[in-house]
Amino acid sequence: MAIRVNPTFIDDLDRFGAEDVQLCYQCGDCSTVCPHADDMYKFPRKSMRFLQMGLEQKIETTLEPWLCYYCGQCSEQCPREADPGETMMSLRRWLIARYDLTGIAHKFFKSRPIEILTILIVAFLTSGFLLYYGFSGGNLNIYDGEGAFLPSRFIHSFDLTVGSILLIFLITNAIHMWYLVMLKGTNFRVPWWIYIKQIYQLPWHFLTQKRYSECEKKHEHPVFMPWLIHLGLMLGYVTMLILVMVFIEQLQAGPEIRWSVHIFGYMATIGLLTGTFYFIRNRLRKNYVQYKKSHGTDWVFVILLFYIVLTGILQHVFHRTGLNASANITYVLHLMGVVPWLLRMPFCKWSHLIYRPLAMYFAEIRRDAFARQELIIQSVPVLIK
Amino acid sequence: MRTGVFFCQTQDNRNLNIDSIAKYSANLPDVETVQILRTKPIPKIDFICEQIKSNSLERIVLAGDMPGYFKPVFTKAVALTGGNTNEIRLASFQEHGAKGENAMDRAKAIGACATMGVPFPLAAVPGGNPVNHATLIIGGGIAGIQAALEIANAGKQVYLVEQTGTIGGHMAMFDKTFPTLDCAACILTPKMVSVGQHEMIRLLTKSNVIAVSGKPGSYRVKIRQKARYVDVKSCVACNICAEVCPVKVKSEFDAGISLRKAIYIPFPQAVPNAYLVDETSCTYILSEGKKCGACMKKCPKECINLNETDKIIDIEVGNIILATGYEFLDVSKIEQYGYGVYPNVLTSIEFERITNASGTTGGRIVTKTKVLDKKSGKEEWIFSPEGIPPKNVALIHCVGSRNKKYNPYCSRVCCMYSLKFAHLIKEKVPNVNVYEFYIDMRAFGKGYEEFAERIKQEGTFVVRGHSASVAMNNGQMVVRGEDIFNDRLVEFKVDMVVLAVGLVPSGGTEEISRMLGVQRDTDGWFSELDYNGSPTDTDKGGIYVAGMCQAPKDIPDTVAQASAVAAGVLRSLTSGKGIGHMSSLSLSEIESRAKKIHAI
Repeated sequence: MAIRVNPTFIDDLDRFGAEDVQLCYQCGDCSTVCPHADDMYKFPRKSMRFLQMGLEQKIETTLEPWLCYYCGQCSEQCPREADPGETMMSLRRWLIARYDLTGIAHKFFKSRPIEILTILIVAFLTSGFLLYYGFSGGNLNIYDGEGAFLPSRFIHSFDLTVGSILLIFLITNAIHMWYLVMLKGTNFRVPWWIYIKQIYQLPWHFLTQKRYSECEKKHEHPVFMPWLIHLGLMLGYVTMLILVMVFIEQLQAGPEIRWSVHIFGYMATIGLLTGTFYFIRNRLRKNYVQYKKSHGTDWVFVILLFYIVLTGILQHVFHRTGLNASANITYVLHLMGVVPWLLRMPFCKWSHLIYRPLAMYFAEIRRDAFARQELIIQSVPVLIK
Repeated sequence: MRTGVFFCQTQDNRNLNIDSIAKYSANLPDVETVQILRTKPIPKIDFICEQIKSNSLERIVLAGDMPGYFKPVFTKAVALTGGNTNEIRLASFQEHGAKGENAMDRAKAIGACATMGVPFPLAAVPGGNPVNHATLIIGGGIAGIQAALEIANAGKQVYLVEQTGTIGGHMAMFDKTFPTLDCAACILTPKMVSVGQHEMIRLLTKSNVIAVSGKPGSYRVKIRQKARYVDVKSCVACNICAEVCPVKVKSEFDAGISLRKAIYIPFPQAVPNAYLVDETSCTYILSEGKKCGACMKKCPKECINLNETDKIIDIEVGNIILATGYEFLDVSKIEQYGYGVYPNVLTSIEFERITNASGTTGGRIVTKTKVLDKKSGKEEWIFSPEGIPPKNVALIHCVGSRNKKYNPYCSRVCCMYSLKFAHLIKEKVPNVNVYEFYIDMRAFGKGYEEFAERIKQEGTFVVRGHSASVAMNNGQMVVRGEDIFNDRLVEFKVDMVVLAVGLVPSGGTEEISRMLGVQRDTDGWFSELDYNGSPTDTDKGGIYVAGMCQAPKDIPDTVAQASAVAAGVLRSLTSGKGIGHMSSLSLSEIESRAKKIHAI
């Protein structure tokens, strides 16, 4: 199959954060030190090479960027300071934009003003809608029950609407990813039953992030292990998402604390708070390789999340202490963050929540199928003389 | 001749104010147009053609740090407009040394010479000082030896200053030379002996230059000759003193893999062939005459005097040749290779000493063996002739070279000597697997590529891909790497790893450059005057560079450069014109000279 070369590909990737790819002279040090590189998936050197050659069509079908967790060993080792770790990170950003069919992600990654402006517009539209709804039928001083400013039943249906929009985007993107990786990028036959055989990979990688723990550099992070923090953040986020989407009515009820629901909320909050705090602190201090270069989207990501968590906590506290008006105002402020956040999710970094486990799943399928393929090749006798 | 001057800067040079140079060159005769093309991409041909036509230019001067980079496009444009392409003159600021204190004047002069069509080196000839006929050579390696012999054979006095106890330098430590696999000692030792016996060469070993004053043509040099404690003339190198000496220290000549006594001869063929005392370890000297002194009592020729003191020698010379050579990068700071942690990770010079027949293992390639030191009770890894030969050896190229963290430059010899090691291992050890990890094979010299091909055919596994890690796995060393050509990750179990360590300027380079005012480049090597035109001269009159101290180079290049230096020295001695500092030349001087040549 002929591959079209995109000579300006490397310049396009500049905006996604990969600035020093051209410096690489292919020594292979990075692949040697990478704890995740193996015979089937060799990176980052190979990805760097594809980039230098402008093989855009090859890159878009690879899984390697998703298999990298950016421990930074390759960047530390690199004799040319070409920063392979950051290149893999930029490739992930580029892939998120590539999987997205609308082209919005591409715009967000390339231009900060557009991203922030969109977030603000969505936020104000949300607040306008909520305030209109609230003042038309409710009382600002009533939080729940009869005549509430924002009744939890209304919020529930509102959440579900936003959630289903999010889900539609995510599912189409995931299907696009599957098309690129498994149909376009796999040049050998993959039997259907391998998909079923390997299905356990999805929940396993989603819930444990085992590969991240494997690339832990323990001597460098003595107390705050990024894997644990990241896992806590992710689990907190997912728990919160489930609570908000399904159990919102129990979550919002009464000034008294319902431990059966709220215990999960508190644990999720702890995970989210420590996670965002840890990542903001590290990005400010730049003490580890992986936090040295921060793309604009990274900042928007952590700051927005921190804002959401903070307003969420305030809203909860105000409600429980009986300050209903303040609770309602912070609730609006909270939703002003949450709605753009959720709608932005398929177009930003957060979507790696879906892509990463999918990539592990696909990688294992490919590996399995390829091993079978080899077996078939080997079983054919070769007559040399 | 109607001339157009184009300033083509590839990057900002902070020393040079391009605008003021451009203003200066606008006032030169025949200059029609002066333009500054600062833009990074190469200017368009149409634009240049238009300029040539509108100003009806006959000569084009390209000025800048690297004007040669822009030459092709200008050549095309001149050819298109029907001009003479030979009249494109390059005024290269970098090449002609427009740097340092009077960089601006130099740059202006370079521009002026190019506008007049006069080669800059022709116009810029410093001179005027009478020349003393003696020559000082700092460094007694192969470069110093070669230059000394060339000059002395022409009948001129040479002072050869060497820091250690013997001349020979690094080449004396080598076993074979690449690519011919000649015995290094067989080439070097006859030269060393003739240096030692030459009537025109005064050999000053254990000496350092401590001060230099005077002007070009007559430098007054102060040399400190450290006490050798042994009379060179009467010592017959009988080894009785070393037998009784109780002190054992690591041998510098053996790269620290074997032990020597405090009174020692570096190697049997040393010149001068006499013993010397290491004052930093001798018990008698350290205790100020209270302890030991056994060698003095035993010496049959009574030539040892441990109360000798340093001497200061004042000499006057006309020319100074710098041949201070190199050192190896401290590889223990590159942690991933485990040098100093795993016993059988060796540097290239250590391997050179074990494969050398005069080395501690008698030329057998063996791994280190564990022995118990009886005195301290510690276990030590040492080389012994009874050691076990390795079954698998990994050679790793570019250790510290071409690496932005250590040496950004290529050390130039590592590829070839690693290939030589592969050959020697294959030759000396039966059934051995040799793995070479390389990034790019720099086989650039005469017969080098053929040598590399030969090594590949001998069955060495040549892996294109650098190895970044040496690990210990259950007592077995494991070298990981990426085999890029075969597209797989490889992991070899090896018994010995040889690191092709990068080269850095020798320790005293900085001091000497400060003493003489010779500039050094960013990597620490001495700067030559002009990389292409005069690679042996420096911007100081009568001071030359030869060998590794200028830049990494192999033995043939070093010898060639040393001979070239000798030619430069002899030119100054026989021409009678005298020499001066390049920096002493003023702009008007160069300009008037260029005008004179231009008129002819």
